Amino acid sequence: MTFLIRQIALKASGEEIVRPTTVDGDTITIGRDASCDIHLPDLAVDPRHARAVMKDGELFVESIADQPFGMNGRSVNRRAIDLSRGAELTFGGHRINVERGDGGVPVFTVRRVEAISDVSEEKDLGSVYTLKGLMPGKRMSAWGFAILVLIACLAWPIGAYMTHKGEKERGSGYHGDEIWSSGDLTLAHAGLKDDCQACHVDAFVAVRDNACTTCHEDDAHAHISGLAANDATARLVAARGEPGAFGQFQRAVAEGFNRPAGRCVECHIEHTGAGAMEDTPQKFCTDCHDGMSKRLPDTKLPDASDFGTGHPEFHPALVVQPGDKPVFQRMTLTKTAREDNGLKFTHAEHMSKTGGVAQMVRRRPGEYDGRDAMQCADCHTLDSTKVRFEPVKMEDSCQSCHALGLEMIDGTTRTLRHGEPELVAADLRAFYRSGNPPRPASLSGMARRSPGDGASQRTARDFARAVQFYPTRADGAVTRVFSKGGACYDCHVITRDGPAVTNGFDIVPAVQNNRYLAMGWFTHDAHTKYACTECHVDATRSNDASRVLIPGLGGEGGCRTCHVGGTGASLTEVKHPVESDCAMCHDYHADDGPPWMSKAPKTIAKADANRRKQVSMR
Amino acid sequence: MASLPGLEPTETAATAEDTTSTDTRKRKLGLRRCTRRNKVTSHDSFLSYANGRWWKVAGVLCLVSLLAYIFAPLPAQHFGGTWLGYTLGTISAGLIVWLTLLGVRKRAMTPGTWSLKAWTSAHVYLGLSLIVVATLHTGFDLGWNVHTLAWALMMIVIVSGMFGIWFYWTLPQALSENRYDEDGAVTEKQMIEQLRSLDRQIHDAAQPLTAEDAAVVEKSLEQDPFDGSIWNRVTARYPNCATRRAAATLREARAFRPRVADDPLDRVDALLTRKEAMLARLRRHLRLKSLLQLWLYVHVPVTFALLAALSAHIVSVFFYW
Repeated sequence: MTFLIRQIALKASGEEIVRPTTVDGDTITIGRDASCDIHLPDLAVDPRHARAVMKDGELFVESIADQPFGMNGRSVNRRAIDLSRGAELTFGGHRINVERGDGGVPVFTVRRVEAISDVSEEKDLGSVYTLKGLMPGKRMSAWGFAILVLIACLAWPIGAYMTHKGEKERGSGYHGDEIWSSGDLTLAHAGLKDDCQACHVDAFVAVRDNACTTCHEDDAHAHISGLAANDATARLVAARGEPGAFGQFQRAVAEGFNRPAGRCVECHIEHTGAGAMEDTPQKFCTDCHDGMSKRLPDTKLPDASDFGTGHPEFHPALVVQPGDKPVFQRMTLTKTAREDNGLKFTHAEHMSKTGGVAQMVRRRPGEYDGRDAMQCADCHTLDSTKVRFEPVKMEDSCQSCHALGLEMIDGTTRTLRHGEPELVAADLRAFYRSGNPPRPASLSGMARRSPGDGASQRTARDFARAVQFYPTRADGAVTRVFSKGGACYDCHVITRDGPAVTNGFDIVPAVQNNRYLAMGWFTHDAHTKYACTECHVDATRSNDASRVLIPGLGGEGGCRTCHVGGTGASLTEVKHPVESDCAMCHDYHADDGPPWMSKAPKTIAKADANRRKQVSMR
Repeated sequence: MASLPGLEPTETAATAEDTTSTDTRKRKLGLRRCTRRNKVTSHDSFLSYANGRWWKVAGVLCLVSLLAYIFAPLPAQHFGGTWLGYTLGTISAGLIVWLTLLGVRKRAMTPGTWSLKAWTSAHVYLGLSLIVVATLHTGFDLGWNVHTLAWALMMIVIVSGMFGIWFYWTLPQALSENRYDEDGAVTEKQMIEQLRSLDRQIHDAAQPLTAEDAAVVEKSLEQDPFDGSIWNRVTARYPNCATRRAAATLREARAFRPRVADDPLDRVDALLTRKEAMLARLRRHLRLKSLLQLWLYVHVPVTFALLAALSAHIVSVFFYW
């Protein structure tokens, strides 16, 4: 029996070289070992891998060490081969075609079909050293990212806008266009967070005033009162005057981009963060108020540029006529400013550490904590808001010394009624109606007395004098209490237009001015670190109750002692300056509450730290 | 290209422009450039192009923006919505678009003042100046919105670009050091040829091995040296290296065998050791080349994301004006 083995090698040109050999015998071996009949120099092939046996005209191929080989694409250990059909055997990187040759001789055609190593195969030098295939392509990811961003940041928001265009109110929950929000809305507008279209009504149209006035029907432009909204805006724009060259350029650019001037949002900037709306920057006030009298000749307001350097003197509302319906008038706060409040009071005398008042205080240590003089708080107490003071009440603050006692009845003092002159007169008249003083019990009868007549004579003498001097005419007493030296006259202004019961006397109702600076904000609560007289300097000097004791802008105890301008400017040197811009005291839309100042001036904290340091060094 | 007098005609004008200053001095000293290795190359980094002209331009731009930001009288906050904000924003947007055009420009090389090198130099420095200009445009008011997205993408692009500069500054040196051996430089093609040659030798030397040992060696031959994840590439760590495993396995097997002269395992072991060294060099090479390319896989796609976000940013500003 013979086998024909054809080893095929490839030339560099691709041409095939066939080396045929014949092997005699019934069996041939296939393996890596050089002694094998079919020698396959292939590391994936066992040294003696398989044998092919020809037996009774049939060809068997079987592996020697149970290492499988491939046959017609299947991995097998032994197989019979029908030579008429032929077969393809695979050993490692070699392929052996088996077929019937001339004269029924089995022919084994051996070919190397795989390179001996991976690197021996063709490598594309252009790509093999690059990151191709290891990273997603640059072009693909560039398009991917860009489209993703355009969908999320452009298509989605515009879709949200289109969906809800024209709706009166948009539902809450996240809408696509909120990704466009440049910052949180302030607290006042936080409720509109999900409704961009509440203000941004039309696409590519800057926010217009009617978006604001949808809610702010009444309170917008309360600053310029008594004008229709359009006129108020016109006046505002006029007050600002013509801008300079750069300002005109800015305005031209803004209008070119469809942003007209004088809109609410020019000053009221939104999307500034979730806090209170920023207090109006000083510039927005001084844009108009600095030199405004030139631009608006009909204005009654004096010019103001900066608290430290250019602010008019305060114009407090002073009482010019006391009474049940007092008349207030705003006037410049000067040294000679007087207020007619219907009271007589000597501040200096009451605050003095010498004299009758101080003596009285010292005699009543229980009531005055052992002090040697009165202090402001004995009469003046802050109201619950701590902003202003409660009105001084005669019953609480004056009466302990200035008693209105009429007589003592069994240990109880009968008092004249304060605040009601008719009742006072009536009480006095009733008191004197009995005609005579009560007769002393010891003057007659059987009561025990000292031996002798001396005592009874003394009593009789006193009684006779009392009868003699007893004012039998009540009219006299009434007149005396309302006249100089009388209890009412000491503190009140007396007029002669009263009813008959008071003999025509009357008392002007006293007025206590509760808020002097109606257009500016002042709170005592922020100033509790300071003694009252540091600012109200004349309280210890003046005995004139008509004297206005609130501090002025400058001068001794004036606001400028500490407060400098918004930029820190001041006319004189200030030791612990408190930077004060307009919004510290003024509010654009002024009301009874404090201004919208959202933060304390930073300089106060600094001054506090300094003071604490000084105290700790002491 | 026009040649300048006093220079070999083969040198280009661009070469001449960059070498003149150093060369005239050397020529006076009588030094001659003879060998290729000793030649003073005309290389002038894009970082120092034209005495750092673009460095200065970018510096002035940053300084002016910063001074304007600090001193310009603005009515309120330093938002993008002030005149200064719009100005800085317009400059930034223009710069971003122009910087992106480097990708177009680099595909058409021209010499001279507007050479690609000039463009690259300007690209780098003006790109870096965006850190200042665009950040001042934000007024440091950052949040979770499209505006900050554009800023953040821009910062990612710039930072990846900074990595790129750093890699271009340091890696070429390392690349050529890695490629040199006692026989001179090895090209990328030669690296593959060397490996092929070694594989053939290993294949031949391994023929006498037993089936088990041969299988181990075969694994080394079958493994593609260019295989591996991006992580393998960048770290040059290949824990599944079949060559190393083959060498270790054979050495272990040999340790328990009696010593014989002419043991085929010895030859295979020596060849595997050589292959390991060669693979190590190839992998260092691949690592350096990956780093040179990798930053661009961030820089370029994020640039396009940035262009999209920038468009959205600008449209949104005008949309909700």
